[in-house]
Amino acid sequence: MKLQLFKSDMNSNGYTLQKMAIRLGAFAAFLGIMVFFAVTARGFTTSYNILNIIEQSTILGFLAFGITVVFIGTGTDVQKGGIDLSIAANAGLCAAVYAVLLERGYGDSLAIPAAIATGLCVGFLNGFAVVTLRIMPLLSTLAVMNIAAGLELAVTQNTVIGAASPLLDTLAFGKFLGISALAWCLIIGAALMVAIVHYSPVGLRLYSVGGNVEAAKSVGIYAGRYVYGSYLFSGFAAGAASILIVARLSASTPGTGLLLLPVLAAALLGAVFSRRFVPTIGGTLLAVLFIGALSNGFQLLGISSYWVSGVQGALILVVVAVTSFAKKS
Amino acid sequence: MNSVAVEMRDVSKVFGPVKALNQASLTIEYGTIHGVVGQNGAGKSTIIKVLAGIYRHDEGSIFVEGKELKSITPKIIEKCGIHFIHQDRLLVSTATVAEAIFLRNEPTFGPFINHRKMNAQATELLQRYFDLELDPTTLITDLSTAQQKIVQITRSLSQNAKVLVLDEPTAALVTKEVESLFTVLRRLKEEGIAIVFISHYMSEIESICDTVTVLRNGENVGQVSPKEVGIEKIVTMMTNRDTSEMYPRRNVEVGAPVLEVDNLSLASHFDSVSFQVGAGEVVGLAGLLGSGDKEVLQSLFGLLPPDSGTVSIDGTSHKFRSPVNAVENGIAMIPEDRRAHGVAVNLSIAENITLASVDKISKRGFVNRQEEIESVDALIEELGVKTPSGDMLVRNLSGGNQQKVVVAKWLSCDSRVYLLDEPTVAVDVGSKIEIYGLINRLAAEGKGIVFVSSDFEELAEMCDRVLVIYKGEIIGEYEGSSINSEQLLAAASGKKITINRSAV
Repeated sequence: MKLQLFKSDMNSNGYTLQKMAIRLGAFAAFLGIMVFFAVTARGFTTSYNILNIIEQSTILGFLAFGITVVFIGTGTDVQKGGIDLSIAANAGLCAAVYAVLLERGYGDSLAIPAAIATGLCVGFLNGFAVVTLRIMPLLSTLAVMNIAAGLELAVTQNTVIGAASPLLDTLAFGKFLGISALAWCLIIGAALMVAIVHYSPVGLRLYSVGGNVEAAKSVGIYAGRYVYGSYLFSGFAAGAASILIVARLSASTPGTGLLLLPVLAAALLGAVFSRRFVPTIGGTLLAVLFIGALSNGFQLLGISSYWVSGVQGALILVVVAVTSFAKKS
Repeated sequence: MNSVAVEMRDVSKVFGPVKALNQASLTIEYGTIHGVVGQNGAGKSTIIKVLAGIYRHDEGSIFVEGKELKSITPKIIEKCGIHFIHQDRLLVSTATVAEAIFLRNEPTFGPFINHRKMNAQATELLQRYFDLELDPTTLITDLSTAQQKIVQITRSLSQNAKVLVLDEPTAALVTKEVESLFTVLRRLKEEGIAIVFISHYMSEIESICDTVTVLRNGENVGQVSPKEVGIEKIVTMMTNRDTSEMYPRRNVEVGAPVLEVDNLSLASHFDSVSFQVGAGEVVGLAGLLGSGDKEVLQSLFGLLPPDSGTVSIDGTSHKFRSPVNAVENGIAMIPEDRRAHGVAVNLSIAENITLASVDKISKRGFVNRQEEIESVDALIEELGVKTPSGDMLVRNLSGGNQQKVVVAKWLSCDSRVYLLDEPTVAVDVGSKIEIYGLINRLAAEGKGIVFVSSDFEELAEMCDRVLVIYKGEIIGEYEGSSINSEQLLAAASGKKITINRSAV
């Protein structure tokens, strides 16, 4: 005897089709823009340029992974769920701490833990504000963003602080199997993230907390700890990214906070690439490369960089509108 | 085989002045399906929550397989093999079937989830218990409601559940799905699992339950076999005939129709609903949870625009696309969740009352405070809202008084049709009587009133006419003094029965 079960929602077919169309549309847009740049922007397809895009994307990628984890753990609905607006400013603060310590003559063995610890502290502050004080994430992380940005200015006096260490040299100029150290960082970082987020029980539980808090609690998951954890991780990601930032520029420079827009755009865009319309590491990686390529292509075409941030902002609006439209049942 | 799985003996639970459970008992045997029935507030959910460890009982004892449990927490209960399938499907919609089944019990390979094993085990469980071939990587959001229920049950079975408690499992299911769920339950019963089945639907209780425990006002009225005594007897056991002085009488001549609803339909909520309400008439809509009664009301108020059909007020037909539209054309709604929809708790009583009629007391864009105070004071006195002044914040009032403020708000704007959605829910008896008085006053003023309530006794006593709505369709109409709550309950449960009057 077979059980007969019917999907009661009669619109479900049209609905899945719609989702499919959005996903395919996203991939098509991605490919289309790549092809457009390949044809029109001179030097876009050279191996030097592609490597350049990947290297640029490393920093963006680390930060976007941080926000992605926050998105996963606090609700895949961007508007009601969590967000970490402080992540780029946090990275700036970490970079400042790191560079200042190196400049004062402390080695990497102290400066790196100090940078990471700074990131974790800011992450903890976010978790405290969101989970313990229950302040709306958009607002609380915005406030923390300003705290971090202010501290960065206090530490650096708003100046460029040069930094050098053997590790930084390796990161900036090292190569292995013909691939630069920064690119390796992205590859290894992404692989680790995939393992944790998509292949470990912790990842699955994090998704369940973000997907339906009540359901997660009903099976005995401590949801609050997972949300705290996601903000801590986001702080950690900022700390790790700060080292790459200093390595790439050989200095800590003001303006790291401006990375927020592309990072946010990438993490949001990533969800469109996934079957479940949830943030994934693979999706975020793809989106990061897309955004990296976008600004790179614009540069090559000689379009003012001012336009890039406009395009990224527009992208955020479109993606959020499309995903929330797709989720509406 | 039939050994006792769970026994709850003389359990009492008190909430403030209310005795939610008064020495209630429940005995569940392995290999049986045990129904728990009762009207709203009879103590069904309280006794289940005591068993689940969510509420602590004040008196009585609970035995699992003959051993008394001294302390009960959700974790201990789960260890005993007692699992609860909640009414709201607590599943992560973006998870896969396998993930939902094994969340927090994932098969692992080193530090990683063994996805292949997890999927294989999920497939095997679904196959073994339900003979169901379902791709374990299907997303929960793509499943039917019945399939989601089955995933929840499978999750419990994967953890060796011996007792399954299902709270209104069929509430959101269509008939075909109910059939397949029952097939599943019968199969589990044959495997020796004890099933507790809580439902409003009498026809379902009759077709699936071996024994039924009937609760009324927190007390056991008895444990019976529905096949032996029949549903009529159980319904009679559930309802309480002692209505005495609760309901004030009114004497109003019903006039020309104020509200005419013709073939109103909204996909997956209700279909071809037609009725009329005359001036001074109170028409009840009796339906069980999910029957579509509330949705009809929301459609009339423009909250859920209908797919087709017309709504006429005083003979003019309208299409309400929003509540603003409905209010402008003389419809007022008193919503069920007053905190969410009815009152602004942080405004004063006066401000709340004049919110809907602010245009009437405004001159050139400014609120005329003097006029506000005067009209409000009159209403407060008339309705008996217990407050020192109209300036008091609504937040500080009791539930009953808050509800009166909502009613006053709409009285002040002089609508033609009043839609009442559970106006007396969570309100004390005294306030209930005053709200009934208000309804009578509205009727006396020649308004048309549509009354939705899950308290069928209230409907039977207060309405001139009651329409019974079942799975989105009006299936019956009762008029005048012939209405009684047993009839309504039986009809709304999808059961055409005749009540044995001599048994009452």
